[in-house]
Amino acid sequence: MGFIRAGSFKSYQEAGALSMFTFLAFMMLWQSNLLSPHGEKALVLLFIRSDCPVSNRYAPDLQRAYERYSMKGVDFRLIYPEAGLSTTAMEEHRKEYGYSIPAVLDADHHYVKEAGVRMTPEVAVFVRGRLVYRGRIDDRYVAIGKERPSPLHHDLEEVLAAVAAGKPLSFRETAAVGCVIEKLE
Amino acid sequence: MMWTLIPVLAWLAATALAPQSTAAPVTFNRQIAPLIYQACSSCHRPGEAAPFPLLNYEDVRKHAAQIVAVTRSRYMPPWLPEPGYGDFAGERRLTDAQLQLFADWLRDGCQEGNPTDLPPAPRYTPGWQLGPPDLVVQIPKPYRLVASGTDVFRNFIVPVDVQETKYVRAIEMRPGNKRIVHHANILIDRRRTLRSRDGEDGQPGFPGILTTTEARSDIFDPDSHFLFWKPGSILEPEPQDMAWRLDPGSDLVLNMHLRPSGKEEVVQPDVGFYFTTRPPTRHPMLLQLEHDGAIDIKPGAVDFAVEDHLKLPLGVSVLAIYPHAHYLGKQMEAWATLPDGTRRWLIKIPDWDINWQAVYDYRAPVSLPKGTDISMRITYDNSDSNPRNPNHPPKHVRSGPRSEDEMGHVWLQVLPAKETEEDPRVILQEAAMRRRLEKYPDDFVAHCNLGQLLVTRKQYSEALAYFHIALRQNPESVTARTGLGAAYLAEGRYDDALRELKEALRHDPDHVNARLNLARALGEKGDLDGAVRELERVLKIRPDNTEAHIGLGLGYFSLHRYAEALPHFQEAARRRPEDADIQTNLGLLLAMHGDLAGAIQAFQAALKVNPQDKTARGYLERAQAMAGQH
Repeated sequence: MGFIRAGSFKSYQEAGALSMFTFLAFMMLWQSNLLSPHGEKALVLLFIRSDCPVSNRYAPDLQRAYERYSMKGVDFRLIYPEAGLSTTAMEEHRKEYGYSIPAVLDADHHYVKEAGVRMTPEVAVFVRGRLVYRGRIDDRYVAIGKERPSPLHHDLEEVLAAVAAGKPLSFRETAAVGCVIEKLE
Repeated sequence: MMWTLIPVLAWLAATALAPQSTAAPVTFNRQIAPLIYQACSSCHRPGEAAPFPLLNYEDVRKHAAQIVAVTRSRYMPPWLPEPGYGDFAGERRLTDAQLQLFADWLRDGCQEGNPTDLPPAPRYTPGWQLGPPDLVVQIPKPYRLVASGTDVFRNFIVPVDVQETKYVRAIEMRPGNKRIVHHANILIDRRRTLRSRDGEDGQPGFPGILTTTEARSDIFDPDSHFLFWKPGSILEPEPQDMAWRLDPGSDLVLNMHLRPSGKEEVVQPDVGFYFTTRPPTRHPMLLQLEHDGAIDIKPGAVDFAVEDHLKLPLGVSVLAIYPHAHYLGKQMEAWATLPDGTRRWLIKIPDWDINWQAVYDYRAPVSLPKGTDISMRITYDNSDSNPRNPNHPPKHVRSGPRSEDEMGHVWLQVLPAKETEEDPRVILQEAAMRRRLEKYPDDFVAHCNLGQLLVTRKQYSEALAYFHIALRQNPESVTARTGLGAAYLAEGRYDDALRELKEALRHDPDHVNARLNLARALGEKGDLDGAVRELERVLKIRPDNTEAHIGLGLGYFSLHRYAEALPHFQEAARRRPEDADIQTNLGLLLAMHGDLAGAIQAFQAALKVNPQDKTARGYLERAQAMAGQH
């Protein structure tokens, strides 16, 4: 695996600074599966934090989604946007919570910026390089400390089901509830 | 050209929005550390309930934005009561100005500041907070909590094996796994009635939210202390004269609120007891305001209210308050209306959250004079706009112990004023039971309890009337018939007492209380042999029954069978070391057996309990004189 190309993400944000020609060239590369060299239909970035109780409580849900949809051509990455977290500590956390999803330590918030997320847990779903969903996993948490006994809307699940079914998706965003991703110094 | 303009505009916008402040920036060492130490660190440290430590600059800087967010929404530090509606010890609420400091610190770049400004970090005692306990008990088997799903409310039974009555000055629960234990309520089940449910679903304990062990039948020995654990609690021993009694043959029931963490967790709490030799001289009492019978909430109701009140027959000092509801509870209020009509707030919680329920101790006891009316009002939101509603779509909800049922309780721990020779707790209990009958006119337990209380108050004809009503409601009840027999016995109607007690024992030959009373009635009739025979039968059923040992000691003594009396007095004295009369009787028997040293010890023990005991003093002097002659 290990196909995530930082450069391809970066170009999305910096496109404005490039010439229109380069921008269009990037866009074309994107459309042509640059992000999914193995033919994956989508990439899901799951932003979690090792000491965030909200994202930890979602561990079984995220792992279930991975087990279900990675068979159907969806690629998953756990992203730890924690400056100061060691790779060892990250791996320990991943193991402790029963994740088999590949993980990336995002100490410099590269992926945070690319996906435009602000919270953990928050998810970003890309289909062929295009962001189609950003926000909460489901609506169990209404605010921090205020939660439903069980969610009414399973947002991530709905997006993934649509992706797996090959349905066209337009960008949708929801507000994630959890731990604020701390700014870098 | 266009591209270069944007940063300039951004820069202009940023400078325009920046506060025009010349004050020194907020620093961790000067302003933030004191707040963190005071309001956060007791839970946010290793081994405690909070998910990460907040003990130093680095810890806090790493969570600065999160701290600003959760303090602004007042999710942290958790504190439900509205300020100005009761003055509570250990208040964890931060002021608006303090919240602003966190925001300013983040804005100023989370500076550490001058090291000399840093106050000393709080020190915490590792392990048991009061040192090694005198007794540690643990739930026999660990409980496995699933990784995800809704919160779990579970009751764990912990047998407590003490050989004699102990006085408890402090109890500490160590949940073993604080991350998932949200709170725990510790109950004493003196009759071990709940253990039959232990393991009913294959896992240790049984489900539900309990606040009492039974329907207030232990009225002469009421539960009188809140044994509540929440994360970050500071363990305070009871005042020296307010220890509580732990009898042999009791179970602890740990009612625990557990939150799945995202991985399977194992819980096996242990509980440490700290004993004292000093029996209590002040006896607090728990008063409950409730009207669970009126909880009948239609789906969609947004403002359903439950109310209750109780007029105090004597003055009390309120020491603590424990409001309780489940997931539909919205606003809770409790107040006292003094005889002159003024209102004193006891508590107000504008946005109830079961996750942060707690016992609140008043900073200073709240004195309420005789004739004060204490009231509660709790509202409920059973609509879909209450995200915590366990039912979607909402369902009809009534009262019950399951978390999807509702409750509405306000418990007050009070010290009743002693205004007459009578035990004020009895007077207060009588008022509570009469109020209970107003709410629930057919309540069997309340009729029995009121009967028993009135016997204590020597109001026999009314007591008999309540027992007769109880027996009409439940003619087979051995409890009610035993109560009736005991009432006749107390009134001196021994033949009526014998008739009722024998009838009770016909239904249940093993009913210890009925047989003890039968023995007493026989003794009163002069049938000492019969009395002794019945007491020996009690000991066959319940070898550890102290009353039977005392009765047998007295019975054999009166029958001049001193050798048989002695072991029973010894047993009774071992179980009730604080009972001066038992010690005095034991001393007499020992002296008669020629054991002067033992006798002197027993008389001294009696005088230690009651230095004014003239009988014991007289015997002691004589025994010492006799010992001196030998």
